[in-house]
Amino acid sequence: MPRVRLHYYALFREQAGRQEEIVETAALTPAALYAELADRHGFKLPISQLKVAVNAAFGDWNRTLSDDDEVVFIPPVAGG
Amino acid sequence: MIAFEFTHEPIDAAQLAAPLAASAAGGYAGFEGRVRDHNEGRTVTGLEYEAFEQLAVAEGGRIVEEAIARHGVLRARCVHRLGRLAVGDVAVWVGVSARHRAEAFAACREIIDAIKHRLPIWKKEHYAAGESGWVNCDHGCVAATVAAAPFDYSRQVALPEVGAAGQERLAASTVAVIGAGGLGCAVLPGLAGAGIGTISIVDADVVQASNLHRQPLYDVADIGHPKADAAARKLAAYNPAIRVLARAQRLDAANADEVIAGCDVVVDCTDNFAAKFLVNDAAVRNGKPAVIASVYQYEGQLQVVRPDLGGSCLRCQWPDATRDGLVGNCEQSGVLGPVPAILGNLQAMEVLKLLLGLPGQLANEVLLVDLLAHGLRRLSAPRNARCLGSCVRTGQSQPAAISEDVDVSVSLTAAAAQGYRIIDIREPEECEEEPLPLAGQRSLPLGRLLEGSPDLEPADRYLLVCGHGVRSHAAAEYLRSRGFQNVWSLHGGLAAQRG
Repeated sequence: MPRVRLHYYALFREQAGRQEEIVETAALTPAALYAELADRHGFKLPISQLKVAVNAAFGDWNRTLSDDDEVVFIPPVAGG
Repeated sequence: MIAFEFTHEPIDAAQLAAPLAASAAGGYAGFEGRVRDHNEGRTVTGLEYEAFEQLAVAEGGRIVEEAIARHGVLRARCVHRLGRLAVGDVAVWVGVSARHRAEAFAACREIIDAIKHRLPIWKKEHYAAGESGWVNCDHGCVAATVAAAPFDYSRQVALPEVGAAGQERLAASTVAVIGAGGLGCAVLPGLAGAGIGTISIVDADVVQASNLHRQPLYDVADIGHPKADAAARKLAAYNPAIRVLARAQRLDAANADEVIAGCDVVVDCTDNFAAKFLVNDAAVRNGKPAVIASVYQYEGQLQVVRPDLGGSCLRCQWPDATRDGLVGNCEQSGVLGPVPAILGNLQAMEVLKLLLGLPGQLANEVLLVDLLAHGLRRLSAPRNARCLGSCVRTGQSQPAAISEDVDVSVSLTAAAAQGYRIIDIREPEECEEEPLPLAGQRSLPLGRLLEGSPDLEPADRYLLVCGHGVRSHAAAEYLRSRGFQNVWSLHGGLAAQRG
């Protein structure tokens, strides 16, 4: 069970009601982690419409998560 | 034909206007300023005009060129008289030819106003009583002040990394700013103050009252006026030493290359993905750096695209252009004024770092800025191989266009008659504000439609409807990617049904 730190931005911050959290997860990939958190926090954006960064680099949804990974889901924002 | 000149001879408007004739010109507007017989209650018998000619000719030429560019007119020129004039003589003449009368009038008006404000021209009035006096008029006020106290860059030239050479580099640079909203209102003074030699502003919007809280370049008197013009006016007054070109037009596929090819850096201050991809693609096609920012409520994202260095682009991160409407913009989600101001200043900072060759430039990265927690996060965002193969680098990609496949132009009544099952994907408050013109349709807000497995019958054909056809397009594409092929989007949304 990897233990990862999450940072939330924009609508994820609103929907999760927090800026960051540490979760112990059964998910082995960012994709599975997102599905798990979408369930918990009510995230509505489909995965195809956002990006994930792991340890400060844009990453693959199917990479393997490890303990202490920093995960950020990045919503597409365009306001100006 | 010289754009601006002085003459000591009487002005013959017809003769001066002759070279303005053009077969494409549907309109010609002319203005003659004449010597009148009174001023502030005194009878005037004549005038003498004097000018700081060298400065006035250069500045006058700029005024005419700016007006030509800003209003898209065909030809324009201005001639100002010098020396002694009698009552009734023409002191100044402006002529403009254009495709249509509106821009001819507008350009003519702008030229004469700017001539009166900006040029170092003075007049001496001769009164009936025999005495005379130099009139403290508009003429030359701004330019005269400038001549006396030029814009002083000493505090930035003092930086060892800038110096005189750096300042010259900035003066020789051209930066295009696309969008003069919240981000643009911070970027523009930052660039003008730094002495960027030429700044071009592209924005088709007019100033609205709801813009002002985050767009302090404008004031309440600007409401209803084009942002590009108002911004150019403010910048010209702030730093008359630079050249500011305004285009009150939307950046589109037809003008993007022209705008961006001519600049050293383009700054994206737009507020939607379609525009951001347009800027990104034109920057990549023309090998120009682009500094792109977006804001959301209390946060922002900043990316510097360097096609000139083979760097990653916006499409490397966001491979398709259909996301507008999925995440709210400033209007829908709200934004605090300092957020775009800070992001815009970060953009100006990156432009200056880039032009001056300063260290720490963003490259192949996305900067996430969280202004609640004061978090700055630099995420590595390398070039994406999929982007390389399929996107603008091959010159194949087009900005988000109408896809006949997904978008349907039809009246709702006809759609229902053709058997489409209509789904209104707007939020409940939107539906309440403007119900569908066709009663009894299903309402399913976007968020609920996209969550889980949508309750759609594979055999049925669905038409999604939203306000302007942006959200419904994105949702239809998404549902198709999930295997629901019989989903279409009402092109133009409800707005298109009103016409």
